Amino acid sequence: MWQALGNMLGADLSRLLLGLVIILAFSQLNALFLVWLERKVAGHIQLRPGPKEVGPFGLLQTIVDGIKLVGKELITPRLADRKLFVLAPVLVFMPVLVGFMVLPFSPGLIIRDMNVGLLLIFAFSTFSVLAILAGGWASNNKYALLGAIRSVAQNVAYEIPLLLSVMAVVLTVNSLRLSDIVSAQHRVWFFMLQPVAALIYLICATAETNRAPFDIPEAESELVAGFHTEYSGMRFGLFFLAEYTNMFVVCAVATALFFGGWYGPFGFQLGIPGVVWFLLKTYFLLFVIMWVRWTFPRLRFDQLMNFSWKVMIPLSLANLVVTAAVIKLI
Amino acid sequence: MAKKDQIAQRLEQLLPQDAICRDENYRAGVILAARLTADKLRAALQACEEAGFFLECITGLDFTDAMELVYHLNCYEPGSRIALRLFCQPGDTPPSIGDIFPAALWHEREVHDFFGIQFKDNPDLRALLLPDDADYHPHLKTFGKTHAYLKWEDVYGKIK
Amino acid sequence: MAKLNDEAVSERLYSLNLGPQHPSTHGVLRVLLKLDGEYIVEADPIIGYGHRGHEKMAESRTYEQFMPNSSRIDYLSGLIYNHGYTLAVEKLAGIEVPERAKYIRVICAELNRISSHLLWFGTYVMDLGGFTPFLYAFDDREMILDILDRVTGSRLTYSYCRFGGVNRDIDAEFVSMTRAFVKRLRSRWSDYHNLVTKNVIFINRTRNVGVIKPELARLFGVTGPNLRGSGIGFDMRKIEPYEVYDRFQFDIPTGNNGDALDRYNVRLEEMEQSCRIIEQALDQLPDGLYRNEHVPFKVKPPKGEVYFSFESARGLTAYYLVSDGSSTPYRLHVRVPSFGNLQVLTDVLTGTMVADAISILGSIDIVVPEVDR
Repeated sequence: MWQALGNMLGADLSRLLLGLVIILAFSQLNALFLVWLERKVAGHIQLRPGPKEVGPFGLLQTIVDGIKLVGKELITPRLADRKLFVLAPVLVFMPVLVGFMVLPFSPGLIIRDMNVGLLLIFAFSTFSVLAILAGGWASNNKYALLGAIRSVAQNVAYEIPLLLSVMAVVLTVNSLRLSDIVSAQHRVWFFMLQPVAALIYLICATAETNRAPFDIPEAESELVAGFHTEYSGMRFGLFFLAEYTNMFVVCAVATALFFGGWYGPFGFQLGIPGVVWFLLKTYFLLFVIMWVRWTFPRLRFDQLMNFSWKVMIPLSLANLVVTAAVIKLI
Repeated sequence: MAKKDQIAQRLEQLLPQDAICRDENYRAGVILAARLTADKLRAALQACEEAGFFLECITGLDFTDAMELVYHLNCYEPGSRIALRLFCQPGDTPPSIGDIFPAALWHEREVHDFFGIQFKDNPDLRALLLPDDADYHPHLKTFGKTHAYLKWEDVYGKIK
Repeated sequence: MAKLNDEAVSERLYSLNLGPQHPSTHGVLRVLLKLDGEYIVEADPIIGYGHRGHEKMAESRTYEQFMPNSSRIDYLSGLIYNHGYTLAVEKLAGIEVPERAKYIRVICAELNRISSHLLWFGTYVMDLGGFTPFLYAFDDREMILDILDRVTGSRLTYSYCRFGGVNRDIDAEFVSMTRAFVKRLRSRWSDYHNLVTKNVIFINRTRNVGVIKPELARLFGVTGPNLRGSGIGFDMRKIEPYEVYDRFQFDIPTGNNGDALDRYNVRLEEMEQSCRIIEQALDQLPDGLYRNEHVPFKVKPPKGEVYFSFESARGLTAYYLVSDGSSTPYRLHVRVPSFGNLQVLTDVLTGTMVADAISILGSIDIVVPEVDR
């Protein structure tokens, strides 16, 4: 029966549909795992065990929390802009999923190996800024609006050095196709060739996903909860989910761009399949991001902006120029 | 010269001879207690500010024959606390010292809240600790449960 | 910040309420801010949400019955307030206290001071976004709470001191637990300094933020670590030593600029100095009575007044007690340090940014129930 369906739709389309189902399933499982990981990492850094009651090592905690969130009442403030208010969480979550389509898990495991794969990811990740602004504005709440404004400013400021550092890698490989970029790292991973770009990318990725120390938009102790103050129930759950999925996507891109993708160190696979290498590296980067969150306090907003415009952008520009010069000369 | 002696000198110039009582033993926690009248209040406090004192607190006391305001000031040297005492009747408006010591702004608001004493020239006599619409003054002895409501002399004796 | 044109400003301003329900205002404090974008043009603290009428309550209770009230005024320095109240009444009534009791009270008061500063440290860094030191500080604080719980019976709001001594004697277990705690706290300083004090982000959030000049501090009656951070070494334990504080060697840390970083450093250093006091007190602890047996059941101080001041974790605190010769006070006024410390914010917060407001508020270390009484 499935074969008949496949024949009817064509191989391409059915592959796409299958991919869609797999992405959705994977992103949910991933978010589940990441929330658990975050709470465990936070717990152990803070000298406490984290969740351990529900399921072995507390693994089922997130599922239970999800059930609780689904059961909560969806409150809409009376004077809120209803359409935007309801649309914002959806708008935050959907574009991130698109990025999954081009992630190079392994040479055969890319859903759609587009020749502009990298461009696709960054184009769609910009959508989330719009959605955050919509959510903050539609809430009819000064705190939410302040949080949304800060988030937009922060995202715009940090996207520039992000893209510039990625451009340095693209120049080296001469292609925007993610599988090409990974293939070019079969001997040496790019973070050794482009350490500055790697560092800038990681810092900007943390800022793009609104993670500490750049989590001013959701600053718990200043604006209660920033742009998602007025959201409850599954709408809040969607913002939450979107953040973790976005984190996964940026770390996966970092792995593909700088840390060798599906290759083992110096090309030695050591019998472990490529997809496992990819996931190991991505989750390690995610762990580092979480580690940073629970260690450092938050930057003040103007310090954050100054850091981006006065430090990150000149640095990434310089890196790009140097890369271009080196490529021209070699 | 120690600040407490400086201020003692200034106050002696300002006030009548018997208005000042000095206590070297620091029995009541003050080195000097001075009885003021409302017209000398600002001048005395100005002298304290110039001598480098800070306002610790303003306390209101309620007696049957009068209300009393006690201003405690201290400086950063040991054993230098002074108390300036002012009698006022219900309906009196002692001058505000908010421009000399900004700390007094809140203390006067508190005394106004609890005793109903209006301070002239205080720019902002809103309720500080009580709700905005409170029309009662809780620390008056006529409010609520009272254990004792005495004359000033019954508590302090005949001396100032 | 340049002085803004009045009309232009009043059109652009919007007002924002910081509190009364807010994760960082440490109690029910409401600060009405008039903002111009991110900058604060006017800040008006509105208090009174926690007014419970302690001073009025004092006028219908006996002196002994007021003891639990005293620790609830500032619940973080509960034992120190107990101690101060007891000393005020003992001074007025002329009650003698045995030596051992004095030492016990000093040790417990210093432990309380450390626990208050630890809580402040944890919550301050948490306000700035670093969630982890909070739990480390509370871990240490838990040890103090266990020690004090053993001897007083309470963890937070104590009624341990009695007129003429303390309620219960301390034993060898208390002494060994306290020594172990002091040792453990000292081993933590390197952690705290590496994690927080030397952290670039933390320094950027606190250096030159919320500068309180000494003149301003004097005019507003600011005391405690805030005043010491501005450079004035005014600590009642040194200026007018009460109990047995004159028998110990300890320093009063001061800062230079009066910014939030200085206040932070002063408080951390004060914890170390409290450890020194505790060690010396434990070494000098005499045997003897822990309570004066001859104090009447209902204390009736003679007619008159006393103004007794002491150093709580937040600054200069004083009990102004007027007695009419009966077993109930005629008037009890509590001078709390957070009153002046909070009021100075009306001046310090103007011209700063909202994010700095949180940092400044946290560095002042106010306990709102103390302000409200």
